[in-house]
Amino acid sequence: MKTSPRVMLIQLGLFLSFSALIFSCLAFPNLAIADYSASFEQELALDSSDHKQKFEMLFTPEWNIELSDNISMTFIGQARWDNTKKLSNTENSHYSAPDNYASANGPLYYSDSSEVSIREWYIDTESLGAYWRIGKQQIVWGQADGLKVLDVVNPQNYREFILDDFEDSRIPLWMVNTEIPIGEDSNLQLLWVPDLTYHVFAEAGTEYEISSPLYRPALPQGVALIGLHEDKPSSPIKDSNFGVQYATFYLGWDLTLNYLYHYQDTPVLYQQVRANGVALSSEYERNHLAGFTASNAFSSFTLRTEVGYSSDTYHLMQTPANKGIHQSSEVSSVIGLDWQGLEDTMLSIQWFQSHLTKYNPNVVRPKNNHIVSLLLKRSFINETWDLEILALHGLDQQDGSVQSKLRYMLESDLSLWIGSDTFYGNKDGLFGQFNNKDRVLFGAEWSF
Amino acid sequence: MSDNPRPSTARAIAKLIVHYPKTQVAVSLLLMIALFMALPMLYKDTRSDAFLADDNPALVYRDKVKEQFGLSDPIVLAVINTSDNGVFNPTSLSLIQWLSDEVSSLDNINADRVTSLATENNITGSDDGMDVEPFFESAISTQQEADIVWSKVSDFPLYMGNLVAHDKQATLIVAELLDVKQVEDTYQQILDIVARSPNGKHDEIHVAGEGAIAGYLGSYIDADAQRLNPLAGVIITIIILFAFRRVSTGILSNVIIAASVLMTLSIMALNGIPFFVITNALPVILIGISVADSIHIYSHYFELQAKHPSEDKKELIIQTVEEMWRPITLTTLTTIAGFMGMYFAAYMPPFKYFGLYTAVGVAIAWFYSLVFLPAALAIIQPSASKQIGALAKSNRLDKFSRTMVVLGRISLQNPKVTVGLFSIIIISGIFATSHLVVNEDRIKTFHTSETLYQADAAINAHLNGTNNLDVVIEAKEAEALFEPEHLKKMEALQNFALTLPNVQGATSIVDYLKQMNRSLKGGDKYSYQLPDNKALIAQYFLIYSASSDPTDFDEEVDYDYRIANIKLTLNKGSYVDTQEVVTQLNDYIKTSFNNQDISATLSGRVNINYHWIKDLGRSHFVGLAISMFLVWAVSSLLFGSLTAGTFTIIPVSSSILLVYSAMAVLGIDLGIGTSMFASVAIGLGVDFSIHTIDRLRSLYQDHNGNWDLTLQELYPSTGRALFLNYLAIACGFGVLISSKVVPLNNFGTIVVISVSTSFLASMSFLPALIKLTKPTFISGYQPSDKTITRRWIRIPSIILLVAVAGSVLVNQPALASESETGKTTKSNNLLPSAEVVVANINNVDDGEYATRNLTMTLIDKRGKKRVRETIGYRKYFGKEKRTILFYKKPTNVKGTAFLTFDYPGATKDDDQWLYLPALRKVRRISAADRGDYFLGTDFTYEDIKLEGKIDSGNYNFETIRSEVLAQESSPPIQTVVIRGIAKNNVIAKELGYGKTEFWVDVDTWLIAKSNYWDPKGKLLKTLTISDVSRIDGILTRHRMTINNHKTGHTSEFLFSNVDYKAPVSDGLFTKRAMKRGK
Repeated sequence: MKTSPRVMLIQLGLFLSFSALIFSCLAFPNLAIADYSASFEQELALDSSDHKQKFEMLFTPEWNIELSDNISMTFIGQARWDNTKKLSNTENSHYSAPDNYASANGPLYYSDSSEVSIREWYIDTESLGAYWRIGKQQIVWGQADGLKVLDVVNPQNYREFILDDFEDSRIPLWMVNTEIPIGEDSNLQLLWVPDLTYHVFAEAGTEYEISSPLYRPALPQGVALIGLHEDKPSSPIKDSNFGVQYATFYLGWDLTLNYLYHYQDTPVLYQQVRANGVALSSEYERNHLAGFTASNAFSSFTLRTEVGYSSDTYHLMQTPANKGIHQSSEVSSVIGLDWQGLEDTMLSIQWFQSHLTKYNPNVVRPKNNHIVSLLLKRSFINETWDLEILALHGLDQQDGSVQSKLRYMLESDLSLWIGSDTFYGNKDGLFGQFNNKDRVLFGAEWSF
Repeated sequence: MSDNPRPSTARAIAKLIVHYPKTQVAVSLLLMIALFMALPMLYKDTRSDAFLADDNPALVYRDKVKEQFGLSDPIVLAVINTSDNGVFNPTSLSLIQWLSDEVSSLDNINADRVTSLATENNITGSDDGMDVEPFFESAISTQQEADIVWSKVSDFPLYMGNLVAHDKQATLIVAELLDVKQVEDTYQQILDIVARSPNGKHDEIHVAGEGAIAGYLGSYIDADAQRLNPLAGVIITIIILFAFRRVSTGILSNVIIAASVLMTLSIMALNGIPFFVITNALPVILIGISVADSIHIYSHYFELQAKHPSEDKKELIIQTVEEMWRPITLTTLTTIAGFMGMYFAAYMPPFKYFGLYTAVGVAIAWFYSLVFLPAALAIIQPSASKQIGALAKSNRLDKFSRTMVVLGRISLQNPKVTVGLFSIIIISGIFATSHLVVNEDRIKTFHTSETLYQADAAINAHLNGTNNLDVVIEAKEAEALFEPEHLKKMEALQNFALTLPNVQGATSIVDYLKQMNRSLKGGDKYSYQLPDNKALIAQYFLIYSASSDPTDFDEEVDYDYRIANIKLTLNKGSYVDTQEVVTQLNDYIKTSFNNQDISATLSGRVNINYHWIKDLGRSHFVGLAISMFLVWAVSSLLFGSLTAGTFTIIPVSSSILLVYSAMAVLGIDLGIGTSMFASVAIGLGVDFSIHTIDRLRSLYQDHNGNWDLTLQELYPSTGRALFLNYLAIACGFGVLISSKVVPLNNFGTIVVISVSTSFLASMSFLPALIKLTKPTFISGYQPSDKTITRRWIRIPSIILLVAVAGSVLVNQPALASESETGKTTKSNNLLPSAEVVVANINNVDDGEYATRNLTMTLIDKRGKKRVRETIGYRKYFGKEKRTILFYKKPTNVKGTAFLTFDYPGATKDDDQWLYLPALRKVRRISAADRGDYFLGTDFTYEDIKLEGKIDSGNYNFETIRSEVLAQESSPPIQTVVIRGIAKNNVIAKELGYGKTEFWVDVDTWLIAKSNYWDPKGKLLKTLTISDVSRIDGILTRHRMTINNHKTGHTSEFLFSNVDYKAPVSDGLFTKRAMKRGK
């Protein structure tokens, strides 16, 4: 697919304005107080047969610039280079980014081995009794680790499924984020997100391409796919997302009430049975998400809870009847308990569940879905060594993943790590589908 | 008192006391009981270090050296065998092995620091370099094997004399203590081991050393005091019973004694003043002094009763108080002046406190004698014994009176002879003063019959000695001690030291290097010399450490080869025997050793003792002069005549000079115990002359100016009372003569001599002198003279003035001499109570809000550093404190934020949140585990939260001492040290600390240093604070360094750009701000 001239124009504009800004900072060092830092990360992943899965270099520069007493700007860019090409589609000769990106989002440069993008670029200011953060940014809602109920403001890049750090895989969006302090301990956050960017899934033929029938319609034997029609919201005004969060601190409890009116980031794949086969139509659907979070600490324990109600969710059915989609509202929740009773150690368990209020036996996923997680973090020798193990286990599919990472801080600004990512269980399951994609990691990060 | 005091003021007060006697008695007793509650807080400090102020530079340096080289005052066991083979026979060697093992297994003994033939290594050359092997490992069963050991040891010059006697007959087992405070128990355990040791026929075991002395001294003195104090009480009660023949008088006197002694000790306890070795003399002295006041009251009361048998007894009591309060107050004031002279002049804390608290005890005795005693008498209303009554009726005199009359007759009949006799005493005393020898020897504290004394003598006879002098060599740069040039200098210094008297041994790395050189060159005796090549020296140490325990040289040289210790051993420890060594070494170091690259400083026990005693003579004479001046000034004021003041001090002066003569003749040195006598002698002795002069004045009036009658009349009444007074004091101090603590014994003897002389002089010399001179302060005295009574009003203020003048007088030269050494110290005033210290710390203003940059440097035990830069804000919301910290650098933690809401009171847990940029999520974290380490530093969350304040809910605090704290980069500061013991095990576990000690700057009330012990009692961490300065008027700590002794890890917090003025918005302390990074 070729990049449209309009998109190119916008991207060129972004690039030029950024260059101009950096240039002016360099040329007039006294004009603004700029704070520059950067990190350089190199990570090698070997798959179970000792083949290189990735050998990725990430360069992430960051500028924090005080434009005036009241206005500051943050720019975070990122350049990625990985010549292994197992995580990107080598067939993609057009060097075009996945089309889930809105025109103003997406990489400035993209190829099968490299990518240059503006990760975040926003202005902070305080005005009209509110704090404003305007620009490309990440918003995280919710309290759960590794599982998402309310953390859906930003879409995600599933190039490496869920293995990449959320920080890196979450796709920042252009938005206006206003936070209005109410009283001493409360806060009202209003979000307007005109950026029409959605999840990016692993490209076809790459390591983490989705194959589970839970998410990919399985066509009956002998039935041909006769076309894919993609329909994406296009009006930044009419199709934008809105969010509100009210956060307060009451009697020791951290509480939030959340509401998001949004397009779900995963397209719904409607099937239309034609005479010669099945035509797929990928469409994004609106949803009202309402929820709350509550957390508090009790002695050595911290309790975290997160509940969300989605008015409209769409699930694949085993048959193409009814366009092969079942629509229902859904209640999801996470209850987590952290224990910090042992020095330098955190042990955290979570129970995630989702429940479809309306169910049909032909729906691929079960009515109730349960995942449990176990997180162990421990640091040694004054945080010189960090060990982190995250295990996720799906109770319904009997599948799961175990991620572990041991990080050693060699110097203040240089750390090394080794890690492993393993999957197990039913290959139709969310985690089990990558049963043969286990990998070990070696990495280093140098920051300056 | 009103501006126009009438003679009836005293009467009015006396009436009040006598008419409401029960109230007075009840109040007095309640006051007593209330103060007694504090008594259990009193603690003992029998360390010899206690004699020097904690801030004494010599002591501070010694402690530094001790820490550097891990030295402590050891307990030394000597095995002595005078048979032919000495200790080198199978049985004795097994005994040494057995003793070394047993001693090492004791809890309080540092097993790595037990040095004996059984633990030490021989260095010999071998094919592959150097062999470092124990002198003997397996059990020695034959004489032949024992001979081999002797040949090995005798071929190792380093150990000869130090560890093994040159004559084979003795060897040492030197055991260092872990906790000096438990030395008493450890000493007992070692004695137990010795008692069950498998001795051979000729083996003798002695236990000595500074550790043993300290260990034994405590119990030794305790035993002594437990015997002496009741004895003094009993003797004095007997005297009173004998004199007044009424049980009630004995009981009441004992109540006053109890009040004076126990209340004084309680006040000491409340002020955190420990019970020092010399404090043992305090009860005995107070017993003697406090009973004197009651003797005068009884005497007068019974005398009045005998004269006026029909008078109402209450009225007689009132009369007694009216007439006696003045002389009693007078003598009390002069006694206090005497002891305050000691307080002002003494430079050793135990003496200062001795002077101060004896004065306090005397004041208490005065109060109880004038308030409690008349009230109690009014209740009991004792009648004079029949004998006193009969004597009064028949106008006859009892034995006491008769003795005094005889004395009076002799001295008054030959006044010129009397004066002449005392003049001789005075002149010979002045002559003797120049012959006084200032000296002190700690081992001589013990009676010569004590085993410890004998052990010390035995070791000093066979080996190099038990007295240590350390010479600390400090070079500028690391590894400087590999330089042959520096080592040669050390060798020369050692050789010089060995030429000095009583120095028997000198060891340092130089000797080890020589031995290694020799071993590696085939054992040739001529090779026992220093290698002259830096690389070779470094190599020797490397080879040695490869062949043996690398910590072997911990006592001789530091890890960087920059600081070394030369250990000198002396076989005598007294000041006279060691002062020349110290002064000559100091001269040598100054002129021939120190240069810009390397310097030497003396330390160790002998050096401490030198500093301790060197000023004793000066302090003694200055104290004497001050006491004398104060007494003279006070009596001049009271009698309204300078001549009277001079007459008052004549008897005391003669008594002191007589003591000097006696000391010179008997060969008693002016030491710790003896130097105290002068102030005591003045305070007590002057009472006699004051009573004498006061009484003579009124008698002169009564007898219408007849001098002969006036002087004669003095003896039967006042003379009798003073005689009883003298007997009480003499017997009180006389008890000390039976003390086994030699300095107390000497002290008692001297005080008895001087008090006897004072009494005799007041009763003979003084009246004779008055008879000859007929001074106008007696003949011209008008009792109605208002100017005299008015003076009474001014007395307190004048005494205060005199005291201030005295203290200025004393402190001036002291300050001048201290500034020479670049040290500034303050007089060791009363220590504030821990509650006050904690309150002061917590009251230090830290600003309503603050902004500061904080750079955290984390240093691991290998010296590798990690640096984190943060910016922090703090603000009080009422009593709630909110703090937020944003990480700025390095990039991998940038954006991390930590927010705390710290609620007042213990009931509510704090709330804490952590924002991790990688998660983009504010995470609630549990605040219960306040003893957890804060974000990888060595501070705990609690440490960070308290910001230099103290949560008094965690610990029970007590003030333990004052100390001048040396600081690395700034001048030393005066601190008071408080100790906190965790209130219970749960809290100790939560905090991770069972015990803490805080050094608190008394000028700023900021904590300057703290030590933390883990709940098991092991030293865990040390925090030092430096670069304190005022910013926006608020004291600010800029550098905090905390060392974790367990892990070797260090965290350094450096605060910069501290600002208390820039407003801090409430919105910073929110989760929103955490996410936004500001």
